[in-house]
Amino acid sequence: MIQHLVDGILVGSFLSLGAIGLTMVMHILRFANFSHAELLSIGAYSALVFDKVFQVLLPFSAAKIGPLSMTWALALSVVLAMAFTGASAMLMDRLVFKRVRARGDELSMVFASFGMALIVRNVIGLVFGLSSQLYSKDIVFAMVISRDPLLLVKPDQIFVFGAALLLMLGLHLLLSRTTFGFALRAVAENPVLAQVHGVNLQRMITAVWVIGGSLGAVAGVFYGLSYQITPVMGRDLVLPIFAATIVGGLGSVYGAVFGGFLVGIASNLALVILPSGYSPSVPFLMILAVLVLRPYGLFGEARP
Amino acid sequence: MRKSFYVAAFALGVASLGSEAQAQDCTIKVGAALPTSVDWGRPIAEVAQFAVDQVNDAGGAAGCQIEMVLRDTQVDPKVGVDAAKALVDLEGVNVLLGAVSSGVSMPILNSVTVPGGVMQMSCCSSSTAFTKLAADGKTNGLWYRTFATTAVQSAMGAKVAADQGWKTVAVLYKNDDWGQDMARLIEADFAAAGVTVTGSVAINDAQPSYRAEVTDALGGQPEALYLALYPTEGTSAVREWLSLGGTQNMILANSLKSDEFRENVGLQYLGNAFGTDTASPRVESADAFRAAYQERFGSEPNGPGLANSYDAAMITLLAMEAAGKDASGADIAAAVAKVTDPNGIPVSADTAGFTAAKSVLAGGGTVMYQGATGNVRFDANGDVSAPAVVWSFTDEGTQEVEYVSLEDVDAFIESLK
Repeated sequence: MIQHLVDGILVGSFLSLGAIGLTMVMHILRFANFSHAELLSIGAYSALVFDKVFQVLLPFSAAKIGPLSMTWALALSVVLAMAFTGASAMLMDRLVFKRVRARGDELSMVFASFGMALIVRNVIGLVFGLSSQLYSKDIVFAMVISRDPLLLVKPDQIFVFGAALLLMLGLHLLLSRTTFGFALRAVAENPVLAQVHGVNLQRMITAVWVIGGSLGAVAGVFYGLSYQITPVMGRDLVLPIFAATIVGGLGSVYGAVFGGFLVGIASNLALVILPSGYSPSVPFLMILAVLVLRPYGLFGEARP
Repeated sequence: MRKSFYVAAFALGVASLGSEAQAQDCTIKVGAALPTSVDWGRPIAEVAQFAVDQVNDAGGAAGCQIEMVLRDTQVDPKVGVDAAKALVDLEGVNVLLGAVSSGVSMPILNSVTVPGGVMQMSCCSSSTAFTKLAADGKTNGLWYRTFATTAVQSAMGAKVAADQGWKTVAVLYKNDDWGQDMARLIEADFAAAGVTVTGSVAINDAQPSYRAEVTDALGGQPEALYLALYPTEGTSAVREWLSLGGTQNMILANSLKSDEFRENVGLQYLGNAFGTDTASPRVESADAFRAAYQERFGSEPNGPGLANSYDAAMITLLAMEAAGKDASGADIAAAVAKVTDPNGIPVSADTAGFTAAKSVLAGGGTVMYQGATGNVRFDANGDVSAPAVVWSFTDEGTQEVEYVSLEDVDAFIESLK
């Protein structure tokens, strides 16, 4: 029980990171972006490439950081992967979403995002192959936190949790303390009014993609660090991330964080009550329950 | 008078020539619904066509040349049923070879071949759901398969646990038809072999994390772990299992006989992992098939189901020969016993063997087909058994730990009952 709870919080940390980006894009660009989870794949795979490059260029960076399975090379790669994924997200917007936005309605955008997801997934499969990859093949053993009740935690999990919290704190400060953050929130509230007040809409849209993409990249790497990287990881993660976003309430960054942890914990705890075959239904059930009880999400507000 | 004799003789000659020509001209269509659009499916179809060609070289079956009409199933139940329907309704076939996946063969059997009275012979479907269906009398004796059921594999899993002296085992299984089937069988077999199952946990594919499932399985503190999973989720689950301090004593289903699994889990953790698989029999007829295959296709028959597909086609054609001209699907299905009779005259799996079988059958005798998978013998439910191997991982791939002959497999399965 306590083990499932702790595991759920740790799973929640990368779901939250993914959900933050999704909720921002959904709120400001007003469409359900089904290709968002593919940004996690792009992040994970680009980090894999950078990691290999660093290990060759700087052999000393292949050393592990303390008890983690993460190497210094991978830590550096995360930063580059964030930049690369942010740029990819921006490029996707320039090449596809911007054009569709200019001509089509919200539904066209949703379909375009489906198409984008398929393209990204298959290109990754084509380049890297369909089998799963790992940053490190070594298995890091879990630490026994307590014997009774049995509680095992992997060092990586604690690191992922801490790093995710740190990133969230950074984003919170950015949104609440800076002019840029105010401008961003203003665009989300009312794009026309924001533009009247001199906010550059196109720049804000670009910023949203970059933030969403780079947080997604971190989530992707953390996911890969905890489990494995496959071309279809975006497909596997899209539902939990959407559930986190909807549960938290569209547009609410804090809601997305909360939603991510809630979905992670619920999926893990579900096994205590449900037979294991039914655990994938939990995110669906949560979306249903939230939509019935609070249609705008736990932290969302009604929008005209 | 004498002239009219000549005329009569000539007329007789022409008539006999005519009937000879007729025998050569007629063709009987045989349907094949196989997944030719996937890379491992095409050789399965090609080797079936190979058997048809050999039979045609021997003058065809049931007095006619045989034409195999092939349709793609795309490993999709819906496409497969459409393909089978077209073969039965439009091409008018009485026998159908296929499909490969149990999930495709089953709807074809239920909605096409059994209602249409068509005999169905699958090369590769292993689900025990067919056994149950046949035992319930719902296949009307029209169903056969040349691939051993998952029961062989699960019995071998129990044998490994018993041989290694593992008393408690947790089971992780893939949450699909095959995995559920395996889990059900292995639990029963473990129980029969005196091994306690501490927990049986379903693993859904495409999940972000298997942590909770693994924690659940770990709760029973088993001595060993049984895995009926595919490589992708298998890797994820096993790494999770090991990192949480789970035992390295593992029994693996044949689906994990993969380099991806070996490399990503790491050989250092797989020293005590034993896999199970069905094997081709170590008999002369199986070697003869390998040689013939090599000569025809220029490579070893290493893909899945090739020997089984060849035997499926050959036995079907022998049964058609035994049933004679204008036989119905049910007649042909009933004639399978005549060509796989353990007391029959042995015939080899090639053109010469088919010619020999023809004369034996014409004389009212029965034959014992010695095929690519050995002396094929169907039980009352249309199932076959098979020899098995226990394997382990090595630096290069896998190695055989133990070969269990057909007799030993059957004896062990019997001992579990």
